[in-house]
Amino acid sequence: MYLILLPILFPILAGFAILVFPKEPDRRLLTATAGTCLVITGALVLCTLLSASQELMLFHLTETLPIYFKIDETGITFSFLTVIVFICAGFFSFAYMKHEQNEKRYYGFYLMAFGVLNALCFAGNLITFYLFFELLTLSSFPLVLHTGSKEAIMAGLKYLFYSLCGAYASLFGIYFLYHNCDTLTFTAGGVLKASAASAEGRFFLLIAFVMILGFGVKAGMVPMHAWLPTAHPVAPAPASATLSAVIVKAGVLALIRVVYYIIGPDFLRGSWVQTAWLTLSLTTVFLGSMLAYREPVLKKRLAYSTVSQLSYILFGLAVMNKEAFTGGLLHVLAHGFIKGTLFLIAGAIIYTTGKTRVDELRGIGKEMPLTMWCYTIVSLGLIGIPPTGGFISKWYLATGGLAGDIGIFRYLGPAILLLSALLTAGYLLPLTIQGFFPGADYDYTSLHRQEPCHLMTIPIVLLTVLSVLIGLFPNIVVAYLTNFVSTLL
Amino acid sequence: MDFVCNFPFFSILLSLFSGTICSILPGKAAKVVNRLVLIAVGTMSGILLLYLLGTGESFVYWMGHFPAPWGNEIRAGVLEAGMALFFCIIMYLSMAGGAHKLFDEVEESKHNLYYILINLLLSSLLALVYTNDMFTAYVFVEINTISACGLIMIRQVGRTIEAAVRYMIMSLLGSGLLLFGLCIMYDLTGHLLMSNIKESVALLMQNGDYQIPLIVSVALMCIGLCIKSALFPFHAWLPDAYGYSTVSSAAILSSLVSKGYIFLLIKMIYRVIGFDIFNNTRIIDVLFVFGLMGMIFGSLSAIKENDIRRMIAFSSVAQIGYIYMGFGMGTQAGMVASVFHILSHAATKSLLFIAAIGLTEVSGGSRKFIDLTGSGYRNKWSGVAFTAGSLSMVGVPLFSGFISKLLFAQAAVQVEGKMLAALIVLGISTVLNAVYFMKTVIRIYATTEDAPYPCMTFKDMKPYAVVLVFFIIVNVILGVSSQPIVNMIEQGLAMFA
Repeated sequence: MYLILLPILFPILAGFAILVFPKEPDRRLLTATAGTCLVITGALVLCTLLSASQELMLFHLTETLPIYFKIDETGITFSFLTVIVFICAGFFSFAYMKHEQNEKRYYGFYLMAFGVLNALCFAGNLITFYLFFELLTLSSFPLVLHTGSKEAIMAGLKYLFYSLCGAYASLFGIYFLYHNCDTLTFTAGGVLKASAASAEGRFFLLIAFVMILGFGVKAGMVPMHAWLPTAHPVAPAPASATLSAVIVKAGVLALIRVVYYIIGPDFLRGSWVQTAWLTLSLTTVFLGSMLAYREPVLKKRLAYSTVSQLSYILFGLAVMNKEAFTGGLLHVLAHGFIKGTLFLIAGAIIYTTGKTRVDELRGIGKEMPLTMWCYTIVSLGLIGIPPTGGFISKWYLATGGLAGDIGIFRYLGPAILLLSALLTAGYLLPLTIQGFFPGADYDYTSLHRQEPCHLMTIPIVLLTVLSVLIGLFPNIVVAYLTNFVSTLL
Repeated sequence: MDFVCNFPFFSILLSLFSGTICSILPGKAAKVVNRLVLIAVGTMSGILLLYLLGTGESFVYWMGHFPAPWGNEIRAGVLEAGMALFFCIIMYLSMAGGAHKLFDEVEESKHNLYYILINLLLSSLLALVYTNDMFTAYVFVEINTISACGLIMIRQVGRTIEAAVRYMIMSLLGSGLLLFGLCIMYDLTGHLLMSNIKESVALLMQNGDYQIPLIVSVALMCIGLCIKSALFPFHAWLPDAYGYSTVSSAAILSSLVSKGYIFLLIKMIYRVIGFDIFNNTRIIDVLFVFGLMGMIFGSLSAIKENDIRRMIAFSSVAQIGYIYMGFGMGTQAGMVASVFHILSHAATKSLLFIAAIGLTEVSGGSRKFIDLTGSGYRNKWSGVAFTAGSLSMVGVPLFSGFISKLLFAQAAVQVEGKMLAALIVLGISTVLNAVYFMKTVIRIYATTEDAPYPCMTFKDMKPYAVVLVFFIIVNVILGVSSQPIVNMIEQGLAMFA
């Protein structure tokens, strides 16, 4: 029964032990320890997932607020993504972090963030979720300000304040829900009292909207998306990979939990909250792509792309029907693998060449062919070209949008998704084109092969393969998701 | 009557006389006496608390066996005993945590004077907690003021003398108003014992006599205690008084002395005026608004501050605002939240003051943020403790601050007209708290290339580090197992009625 605590407590305690270790340890010892901890945690999560349908009432914070863990399908989906991305990015950082200071602190907080994310996936009620949501912010912001430069510290602070403001906006909602729900345990279909919903419907719609905005901060939804393009580029590349692939998904998970498990989709369907949410998410999709298109720095471009892609998922959630929801969850996985890869590749490029701007990277494909091939493949995936993962998820999102009972958004939604896909091609593919076809005037003699070491390439290739596999054989995942989505909606 | 019932009287008398004894002892012996008294009083309060939880009802103790209305009375319930115990714990930890700094801050010849003042302060706090007589309360309010003033001034630097004078003037204004109010009340009711006044007040309200003087009297007493506990517009004396006195004094002043007055106010609300009568006056609305303003303006001043001690001091203004906001809601739940916040704030604020001194020590004694850069690495224990305190202040779950915010929010949801204002200000204030505390935490963990200051390890400061650990434990206990404490508070408030 207490098995569920192991994948949460082990990495947190291990990270804490690394942090309080009195002196800066030998680099090899440190990476070996961190690597072992990562693998053990991964194994623990798998063990926990396999012995499914577990729950644990840990203790009561106050009489009516239990700390409670429960594993359900949504949690399993997110935790699957978390484990893969964290282990890949972790091994990548063993090579990458050579040129950064203070590795002890990095691995300490990295492991802690891992544990907290596991807890977030397994949280069984809103209070437990909120607790770990706050802890996630606190354990991940040292990763953002890791380099310690003035810019990084300011970015870290920005991340912290945006996240805290968002979390407190949500807490504001939790106070009201606490009084008007029978329980805050996640229950499919929502737990809002019918009497409260009918008596003060308009008020609860407002509360729902505040909570969507609040948790939407973490998911980079307009108007509170500004922290994301600031925080991602300054963090070390593997940290940005986890931030972008997993940590921002905590916001998505939060929205799923609140909308589908606490407030209930039936209450929101057809209300102004749904319209507002759809509008905001589609605005974000378009705006993010436009900003990414105009951005010359590679990591920043990827960060804007994350803003845009996350709102694909939010659009799927806001439509509130089965196809779109499935599409959203598929995009959680696809985008997780793809954006993880892209940030790792950006890191590999920075590590080997020291270049950060896209226009400096002419001929990079000749120098690092394997890395750039992976880049091209996952880019096609993010654009949504079959047979990669992005195609399937966008297909479900678009058909879901068309089938949805959402007025003008039925057509507007898929149209904006398509437009944004076009922009995605516009901002991702130039690097491939310049990289492999530098042009006739390029000085080929200065070229030398500089493929990064295996510790870097293997995680990249692994994630690329996964993102392709999910597109080639989507049936297992789709069957799993549709199966439980039909119980939820 | 059981022997245990003598304990409140023993506690007050013991601390009062030990103060006198300290005057003829050398500094070291005075320190030992002070610690022993704290332990003894703490133990007695603990036993008393257990006894009261067992019997489930409060008792009245006649001083010298003279019955009311001639004799003086002491009264003890769960809340009083619990407060006394908690005050002893926090005071002991604050004294132990600041002991090693005392030699830098105070001339050695004045050490016994310092302990006299501490003992007097303890006795007056205990008297404020236990007394059932308004005039006794007033007398001990004055003793409290005098000893607090001495504690500020004992570190003889220019700023502390100015701070002490300021504190003296404001405090005397406060006690003056309290005395005015008390006189009017005595005039109206003819009594000084709390229970007798309450009966007369209820009668007056029933007949509708002397409404205006009654309200004026209540308002004067409230404002007097507000000034003394540094509610927002009356807080001008606070930052200097907390910022420049010795570290133990700062911790004790912020976490206990102001709380003593607040506790007296709670007693007054329940035992003198009557909870319902008090809530029907407009006074609670004034307290509510002042509380809300304090929550915001206190934090704003703290953000502007460039001195870590003064920043923590300004944060107290905000936290006192929380407590008065709870009073202002006028419900039982709001009161419970306020009492819990008294505990939570006392535990956290003293932790922050004590941790901050460790950080300034490894920064050449400077309290400016620029010099504190990286001090969390130079003194790891203080760094961790300060971070824990900050997290509690910001209201991160698992620390005490979260529970008090949760209780305030739950209380606010039940009050129709004040709900939205309270919740919005609560949210803003939390974010503001996060701004300045997280800024500080990042500052103390920023990396610097050149740190000309020495590092402190566990060996250099064993007692200090142990105290910090205890403080963190108190905070986490309040945060994790709050339910029994909240139950006790509810039980204690029920005994007041």
